[in-house]
Amino acid sequence: MLEKKLSTGTGITFRKIEPYLYLAPATILVVLVFLYPIVDIIRTSLLQNNPDGIKTFGFTNYRLVFEDPVFWQALGNNGKLLLSVPILTVLSLLIAILLFEHVRGWLVYRGIIFMPYVLAVPVVGVTFGYLLGLNGIFNTLLRSAGLAFLAQNWLGSVKWVLPSISVVIIYREMGFGVVLFLARLMSLEKEILEAAAIDGANFWQKHFYVTLPQLSGVIEFFVVVELITMLSWVFAYVFVMTGGGPGFASTVMEFYIWKHAFAFRSPGIASALAVVLLMVTTLLIVLQLRLRRRSLEEGA
Amino acid sequence: MSAKSFRVISIAVILVMLFTACGKTTPATGSTKEKVNLTFWYWAESDAPGADAWMTESVEAYKQVNPNVTINVVPQSTDTLISAFQSAVTAKSGPDIASQWATGPVLGFVWQDALVPISDYVSADEIKNWLNTNENTYNGKVWGASMYLIGIEIMYNKAMFAQAGVTPPASGRWTWDEFITACEKLKTAGITPFIAGDKDGYGGAWWFAHVGMQGLDSTDDLRQAIIGNKDFTDPHYTGWYSSLDEMVKKGYFNEDVMSLDLSQGAQAFSQGQGAMSWGTDGMIKQALTDLGADKVGVMRTPQLGAGKLADTGNATQSITFFLTKWSTHPQEAADFLVYLHTADRLTSWYQHTGVIAADARFDRNLVTDPVLKQMVEWETTGPQIWLENFLPGQLDSDADLTAGQMIFSQSGTPADAAALWQRSAETWRNQHPDELTNWKNWQQ
Amino acid sequence: MKTPKSLRRIRTLLASIPNQIVLILFSILSIYPVYYMAVTAFKTRPDWLHNQFGLPNPFTFQNITDALIKGEIPLWFGNSLIVTVASLVVTTVVSALAAYAIARFRFPGRAFYFNMMIALMVIPPAVLILPLFVLMVNINLINKLPSVIIIYSGLLIPFSVYLLVSFFRSLPPELFDAASIDGCNNLDMFWRISLPLSTPALVTLIVVNALFVWNELLIALVFLQDQSQKTLMPGLTLFKGHFTVNEPLIMAGTLIATIPMILLYLFGQRLFVEGLVAGAVK
Repeated sequence: MLEKKLSTGTGITFRKIEPYLYLAPATILVVLVFLYPIVDIIRTSLLQNNPDGIKTFGFTNYRLVFEDPVFWQALGNNGKLLLSVPILTVLSLLIAILLFEHVRGWLVYRGIIFMPYVLAVPVVGVTFGYLLGLNGIFNTLLRSAGLAFLAQNWLGSVKWVLPSISVVIIYREMGFGVVLFLARLMSLEKEILEAAAIDGANFWQKHFYVTLPQLSGVIEFFVVVELITMLSWVFAYVFVMTGGGPGFASTVMEFYIWKHAFAFRSPGIASALAVVLLMVTTLLIVLQLRLRRRSLEEGA
Repeated sequence: MSAKSFRVISIAVILVMLFTACGKTTPATGSTKEKVNLTFWYWAESDAPGADAWMTESVEAYKQVNPNVTINVVPQSTDTLISAFQSAVTAKSGPDIASQWATGPVLGFVWQDALVPISDYVSADEIKNWLNTNENTYNGKVWGASMYLIGIEIMYNKAMFAQAGVTPPASGRWTWDEFITACEKLKTAGITPFIAGDKDGYGGAWWFAHVGMQGLDSTDDLRQAIIGNKDFTDPHYTGWYSSLDEMVKKGYFNEDVMSLDLSQGAQAFSQGQGAMSWGTDGMIKQALTDLGADKVGVMRTPQLGAGKLADTGNATQSITFFLTKWSTHPQEAADFLVYLHTADRLTSWYQHTGVIAADARFDRNLVTDPVLKQMVEWETTGPQIWLENFLPGQLDSDADLTAGQMIFSQSGTPADAAALWQRSAETWRNQHPDELTNWKNWQQ
Repeated sequence: MKTPKSLRRIRTLLASIPNQIVLILFSILSIYPVYYMAVTAFKTRPDWLHNQFGLPNPFTFQNITDALIKGEIPLWFGNSLIVTVASLVVTTVVSALAAYAIARFRFPGRAFYFNMMIALMVIPPAVLILPLFVLMVNINLINKLPSVIIIYSGLLIPFSVYLLVSFFRSLPPELFDAASIDGCNNLDMFWRISLPLSTPALVTLIVVNALFVWNELLIALVFLQDQSQKTLMPGLTLFKGHFTVNEPLIMAGTLIATIPMILLYLFGQRLFVEGLVAGAVK
């Protein structure tokens, strides 16, 4: 009784600051790792080089970035990688639905198909580097199937290098999608699907009209996660498999920023590139906020 | 109550962070003589297989003589050689001894004030024995130590030549037309005339350094285009791409040139998959082992250009070992580099790698194979320039390597390649006005 | 009319054949690269050059021993382990606390804070590395494991907070009311209610974050240049750059790096797969 009174006595101020105490450790790290660097790159992007070595403020770095065709190419390459997200999503959904149809041995299949997600990106990259070589297994198979005309220099041709990298990313990320969708499918109520089957809906109708709408939430989650991956997390694939080439055909923004920051000694250009990339990702933030609104509604 | 538990958590979090922060501190142990720890960022294995094993042996041997000096060798990777050291320079901390490719890359870091000249720590009497020090001489100082010399020439498969009825040049060097005629004969006989790898871009860079150089009159000739006084689109600089393009179009290269790295291309030659390839001394040695001692011959690169450099050799020290500005033991570091130039180490170097040491005291009689002997003679006679060393790093990466890939992958025309050089040079000049000043002032 | 039971079973079996074929195909695709890595690692170099896809002939352990000696793979492996565990501990504790505050309290700035976390989820790390590099140099953490531990912990906070907030919110409020009547304060409720009931979400988070940290290349490459401090991913990448022409040796290195992950996966598959989705699907 006495204790409770005391705690309410000092409690008014404590209550007010209590949530901030919980937030404090996270805030310190976030300021250190995100906010300070963002402020700093904006400042650095405005510092321009001069012939005498003295740096002055101005927008030259941005002008140089926009004049640089490689920048546009790198940005475009990221854009092209985004195109593989729908393919990835549809494939994952398809496999998940097949597994859900109580195919014999589905647990084993799930185990195997998820495995690439456990493999390290450099491991996947190095291995596919060999498999996709001109005389690698992929082309060998094509040739022995009498499809020699389809054999390509997958990682060495300007035309095919990005699609090939996309395939490798899809290879690794698909396991995640399958497992995610399958888990959601299994939490669906059986009755709805059975009712649809009784109503005479065939396999595809059933899943298209009944299953998919139920999965919209988790699909949206997956799509956003993968969009972020394609824009912000492909450095390792590119670095290991192609080094951005041939030419600049597989140079992505991350790689180009890294090159300017750590190989070409141009912090100003690297920072301007980074700020531009930041602007582009704000588009995704808008998508994210939509996702949040949904989750808030669910939570409340 | 709550405040107390909160404190416990906070302390736990801090402890975790402290624990991880204190993970790897090496205790300083007192000893009779001052202990010196030197870190050496080392690159050579890719040029000269066996170089790593030699360095391990040398460090062990040095430890016997100087028990107080510990040398921690960190092998570097080609892909990140420049970026790793650039990071160290930005951090103003890193190795005591580092490696960079000679001339342009080394001077780039000299201008960033990241090096101390080795000639301040090593006597002129010693340095005069080192070969090719001119590659890193700037402002009257020598900035790094050479270790070995490599040049590239064309190695060829004698059996394939015989099969296609091609006779190697009696003078050791073909004209370009003779070269093309030979390629055509080989092609007709169903043999891949020239086998190479350009996935990493270095195949094309070697064409530039070797064939591109022939049209130029001096390294300063190249510098004039770099600093913008001349145009790279001038055929004087980039006309040779048409000849390369023609070779690609006629199918004189292996089909998978774009899925092999440079060294894999040389390996394919050793496997008997093509009649000719670029070869360094080490690659030729490997081919002699794989194909048989009497199966491989060498010739000089056919003459395409008519510039004053058309006859110049291309032997270079390739990599330079130098002392960093922030090292607290530059003298000890320099002493170790001098030790690497002692007679015993030079001999051991050759035995491990088959590449000659860049030192006048190196015993050339160790080279017994006639093919390799011929290479050594070319590499040590007359002026030698590795043209790629005279490019700013960004231009090398964005123009030199990329333009070669453009031609090999047939994704661009020779005119596109020339335009890429011009555009990349302009980009570099705009982005690095301060570096440009250094290049303008650099008297070659 | 009724179909006999056995006939119906045969019919469903027949109907599932196309599905089986598709699944078998995808399974082969999934497993082939691992198979390739495994067989290549035990080949001699001359064997590999002539026999890229078959079984090793002769069979050799030389590459594995060479990779262990030349590559310092055990050391890199240990570093990766330290970095992964430390980053996970820090980020999980810190994010859970923050998520709890957002889910349980009403305070000025709450919505802003949560929005900020969501916005930060999409920031590419490549944007941040240059200033962080200079910062780590200034506080003398460059080339030391704590530098990447701090960065990874920070990078993972937004996603972790996001995931945990939605999970914490889904917990029944009655529980907290009851606990409050019993005299529990907020921190007690955090420990006794929110955390234990969120085990699925926490497992998901740990799995996803562990895979991220374990696989990260860019930051590890930039911040850990010292050989003794390298983690597995940059170590392997540079290992590849160093022995370009010895493919079996490279494959041996990647195999050594992969085996523990595959073992971990095989033994913990259920926890792993189910944990991965438990939080996200909710």
